[in-house]
Amino acid sequence: MESPEQVFNNIVKDFSERLYWHVRRMVGSHEDADDLLQDIFLKIWTALPTFRGEAQLYTWVWRIATNETLNYLRKEKVRALLRFASADDLVAQKVAADSYFNGTDAEREVAKAVARLPEKQRQVFIMRWWDELSYEEISAITGTSVGALKASYHIAQEKIKLNLSDSEVSK
Amino acid sequence: MTKRNPISVPDGYFQNLEQRLQQIPAHAAAPARVFRPAPYLAFAASLAVLAVIGNFILRKTAVQEDTQWDYVSYLAQSLDPDGLVELKETEELTEDDIRSYLLASNISVEQINMTLYEEDY
Repeated sequence: MESPEQVFNNIVKDFSERLYWHVRRMVGSHEDADDLLQDIFLKIWTALPTFRGEAQLYTWVWRIATNETLNYLRKEKVRALLRFASADDLVAQKVAADSYFNGTDAEREVAKAVARLPEKQRQVFIMRWWDELSYEEISAITGTSVGALKASYHIAQEKIKLNLSDSEVSK
Repeated sequence: MTKRNPISVPDGYFQNLEQRLQQIPAHAAAPARVFRPAPYLAFAASLAVLAVIGNFILRKTAVQEDTQWDYVSYLAQSLDPDGLVELKETEELTEDDIRSYLLASNISVEQINMTLYEEDY
């Protein structure tokens, strides 16, 4: 039987890179993603004894990661509000300033448009488009019905198009 | 939309990340074993918890004193922007008190935003 450390190390091997990309796209910067990933894996380690095997390990790990990410984003917004700063566009600003972004200007505009989506819509969009999870997998992770996820993804796509056309007009 | 990953990471990042993450068990406390009580024990325990919470609520509502914590809690929930600014000028309550409360609370960002800037709505 594997020790908790061995189970944890396998989770790190199997999930760390994939979760990094998910978190990075959600928070908009490499530094924030790196910090948050430490918190996520610490949470996974401390919660490991509560994993009962009723859900798939995959779903359980992703659920912790997505919940921690949403919680982190909420805290970032509250911190901004308490500085009487705008909580809008926080992630888009980070995308704009990201020094590890090596795409074209058009790709940065798309990334900023995605970053301007409301958190939960952005989460669904990123999980479907970038992480290539099926709706069924996203549903198991988020607890949202497949129908609602499809609607959310469609709305997200429309908003991205609108955001892109708005940024074209403002140039 | 075309799919090409436009973001990158520092060289060797993922190897280093894996090593750092695998250090977590050594530095964090060992995960606590989950205690699964017998059903009758769980029932008795939940009754006891309910009694304690009920007692706490009764005491809180009976006393109705404006303790510091009550005020922070009230302010954080109602989020009067003038009060918030005023509060920042007092020495009794620090901004950290409010920040900590709000960060840990379940108050939505929208609610905080709307209350802070309610005159704009």
